[in-house]
Amino acid sequence: MSRKSIIFLIWPCLWALQACRNEASVPLRYTQLDCDAAVYPDYRDIVIPANIAPLNFLVDDPSATEFVVEFHGKGIPLTIGANRNGKMRIDSVAWRKMLQENRGDVIQVSIYANQKDGWKKYNEYGISVAEEEIDNYLSYRLIEPGYEMYRQLGLYQRNLTNWDVNIIYENDREYCEKDVHCINCHNFRNNSTQDMLFHVRGAHNGTIFVRDGVPTKVQIKDSTIITSGVYPSWHPTEDLVAFSTNLTGQAFHIYHNEKVEVVDEASDLLLYDVAKNEVNHIVRSRMQLETFPCWSPDGTTLYYCSCDLKGRMEETAPDSLITSYILSHFDSIYYDLMKVKLDMENRTFSEPQMVVDASAMHKSITVPRVSPDGRYVLYTLGDYGQFHVWHKSSDLWVKDLEKDSCYALSEANSEEADSYHSWSSNGRWIVFSSRRDDGNYTRPYIAYFDKNGTAHKAFLLPQEDPGANVLLLKSYNVPELTKDKVKVNADSLRDCVYKTNGINTKYIQK
Amino acid sequence: MKEPIKEKMISRNTSVRDACLRIFRFVHVEWAFFVLVWLWGAWYYGDVLKVARAQSFWVANPMQMEFVLNKSNGWIWYVGRMVLQLYYYPWLGGLALAILLGGGSALINRVLRIPPYFKWIGYIPALAYLFVVSYSGLDVYFETETGAFFGWPCAVFIFFLFLALLQMAFSKQSLYGLFRSSGKTPVGGSFLQLTVCVIGFVVCISFVEQKRPYVRVISKMILHTMSQDWDGAIKTAHRYAYQSNRPMAAHYAIALMHKNQQCDRMYDIRLDFDSLYIHGWNGKPKVSNRLFESECNFHAGLVQTAYRNCMEMMVTNGPSIRGLELMTKCALMRNEWRLAGKYLCILKDVPFESHFYRKYVKMLSAPKLINEDSEIAHIRLTEPMHDAFESSFAHPVFLGYNVRLREGRSANAAWNSMAACLYSKMMPDFVARVVPFRNASLPENVADGILLASNGQPQLVQMFQHMDLRIQRLDGFLKGVSPYLSNRPGNARKLFDRYKGYYPYYYFFGNLHNTIRQDESFQSAINGGEVRQTVN
Repeated sequence: MSRKSIIFLIWPCLWALQACRNEASVPLRYTQLDCDAAVYPDYRDIVIPANIAPLNFLVDDPSATEFVVEFHGKGIPLTIGANRNGKMRIDSVAWRKMLQENRGDVIQVSIYANQKDGWKKYNEYGISVAEEEIDNYLSYRLIEPGYEMYRQLGLYQRNLTNWDVNIIYENDREYCEKDVHCINCHNFRNNSTQDMLFHVRGAHNGTIFVRDGVPTKVQIKDSTIITSGVYPSWHPTEDLVAFSTNLTGQAFHIYHNEKVEVVDEASDLLLYDVAKNEVNHIVRSRMQLETFPCWSPDGTTLYYCSCDLKGRMEETAPDSLITSYILSHFDSIYYDLMKVKLDMENRTFSEPQMVVDASAMHKSITVPRVSPDGRYVLYTLGDYGQFHVWHKSSDLWVKDLEKDSCYALSEANSEEADSYHSWSSNGRWIVFSSRRDDGNYTRPYIAYFDKNGTAHKAFLLPQEDPGANVLLLKSYNVPELTKDKVKVNADSLRDCVYKTNGINTKYIQK
Repeated sequence: MKEPIKEKMISRNTSVRDACLRIFRFVHVEWAFFVLVWLWGAWYYGDVLKVARAQSFWVANPMQMEFVLNKSNGWIWYVGRMVLQLYYYPWLGGLALAILLGGGSALINRVLRIPPYFKWIGYIPALAYLFVVSYSGLDVYFETETGAFFGWPCAVFIFFLFLALLQMAFSKQSLYGLFRSSGKTPVGGSFLQLTVCVIGFVVCISFVEQKRPYVRVISKMILHTMSQDWDGAIKTAHRYAYQSNRPMAAHYAIALMHKNQQCDRMYDIRLDFDSLYIHGWNGKPKVSNRLFESECNFHAGLVQTAYRNCMEMMVTNGPSIRGLELMTKCALMRNEWRLAGKYLCILKDVPFESHFYRKYVKMLSAPKLINEDSEIAHIRLTEPMHDAFESSFAHPVFLGYNVRLREGRSANAAWNSMAACLYSKMMPDFVARVVPFRNASLPENVADGILLASNGQPQLVQMFQHMDLRIQRLDGFLKGVSPYLSNRPGNARKLFDRYKGYYPYYYFFGNLHNTIRQDESFQSAINGGEVRQTVN
């Protein structure tokens, strides 16, 4: 090989090495500014788990030509730089090391911007690293925040410790009329992927149960069941799943702060025995709308939300009138938090009991989720209705079952809709969908829930490209935390969805 | 005496032949074809393909283009969408098309080593492709993969270029030689090539003019709306007044609304609504509502409904430049600054959209600029005063809402409502809206509407002034059309010339055809279950 050829080969390698070298260094001379840097996502003064992926972020300062950020806590400070685009991408290895060294401590973050008249330093802020880790995986659905239509959507699982995203299931990427279907309500038992389920609507419909990596399609249908199983909750120990069954309608505002109302015109609760493939009603009433079931961690109590229409209209009113009433009074439809006790031996339930009387406050509760220690019920509270993802008034609240008190998670909440939420298996982290970024596209936010029952400022799920969430035209839907990766692969789920019709459940009258 | 004449004739024939020979020796058919394609793509079909660009979306970031890249042939669509962006300037897009089809034809001839006399074969794929595009009509951009238009020519071009480069590598030819004719083409061969090309273009253009004449008109109207050229839209509609289809009528109505002529000139075009060759994703015939519904709702002040229309199109078709632009405007009008900022941030990266970005990004920091924008200011005048559910109104909502309007923000809202009632032939509702204007000078169509509505109520006519002459004209009209009333849909076209712009003609003969029902190929669903739109 000639000398020229050797130089020709070596030169690009040297150039690449040079490019990879982290040249960022903290400027020796700078002017301290009395303001905060404009950063996206807002990672200021938050509490993070020690196993979270690097919090890459954007600094927005059009007058600056380059940026330097220094993270300093215990150990060697971590310094990174960015050009005028302000994209701060943190080295994963150094980040992980820094978080481990600073567990239970605070990391200070200094941002420097090189402006025309020299380097400037913005106000410092802190990032606290909690002792407790978050579950490693987050499952979610990606779908446009459309109202009626759906096309291409999928269930995905993100490894929270890095950038890996695993496809759980996707419908057709290309349009095929006979195969168009929607997927929703993915749900896991006890933050484990050992048992999971999700629904398929439209073509190839049914409920897909995955147990030990084996998928099965089931048709939860009966003439007494309003539609089919909808919002699910796995029993923590028994082979049971509580479902709501809902007749849902939508109505679109023409001039309102909210864009759409999603209303249940009828709903009941079902109990499905996975082993026996039997289903029966838990609650079945015409003048009460029951939905969002959730088991307590010990499996003795089922929490749910209920709207009482009794007294508001005649029990003999025809269905069409009920629908019309609900729609014309959509902003005074309130759901309370209720519970029923399960008699495990007879598989029967007690009379419903009120847990939080939201309607007395002219508020409405949805999506109760009990903490793994059984002490707190986390729910969303909005001004009315049951589909709070479309309600700006929706906030996260908890009921402390020990102290019998309810309070808002003010630090974690925002002015936009904060809705669907999930606990980590250790009960120290909650993930929820929030529309705080732009009011329309839901994004998963993570908040630390400390031992005193206080939630801290929530932070956006970090992305490798910190601007990805601005550019993404889909919403993150139904975020669910799990300790492990989903075991079933997308192909076998596809086979189950496409090639099986589903086993019909047996309805048991009780 | 005969000999010189014969000689003269022979010499004349020879000179014509020589002239032809000289022309065919001089003309490079490759270049002629290139120019023809350019003219076709820029001048003749430029508007259609400019709309295709607006209905498409392309940015360099593969993450944002995943909805295209994750399909089979995704990279072809990606490249096709990229090249389609050039149609922001139709001459530039046409040039790209000419390079791909002209270059592709030359490469086919070169690679396949087609003998000089049969080189016309090399033009057949390109001409066939242009015919397919012409045949597709509105399907070039309606519920389709917009990257396909340039994607296939790009793929074929690259494939033959690759083969040609391979050949070149082995034959040590220059790069220029790739596109240059090999050897001398006989005059007869050139003549054949040129004849095939000309026939090809004549067939394509004749087909469009005969079978899909509305495609270029609808596209023109859409572009007028996009560029807020209301005078241009009115002029185009009048020029093609004989053509009749809903998208054209809808964009014409938008232009009239902005010129406050909705009651004056709506009936200057034929409103029988011929059927269109238009298909959905499933390949089945579909109504053309999606070509105008969001625009009409937006310009009728139903900003929230327009946003929903755009979002639904984004769900089913993927993002489009025009959809994102409309959603930006809707978000600005609803004071959703961060949402508008998001869409602008996305549009910033779309080629040639910097003008739109620069215009509207200013409004984020200076909201008063929103209402100073002439288009938005006009739309603000007709925004609803009270909330209601869409399901309370007949569809499409811009008509259903306006025929039910009880209270408006401005006189414009009242005129829109009156125009909607006239168009919908809902005479009692029309009367309720026109009575408050009894002392005003009314447009002729409104006056004629009053006469038709007053059937059996002479006191209604008495409320308005200067109706006598109109009564006579109406009587004359009724007498004149009485033989045609037995088959109104069939006779409508015959009478259009005579009664163009006259409301009673529309009342009796206009808008009688039913178009096909929209299919339900896209299901509705929300978390947990299937849903339906609740009807109040």
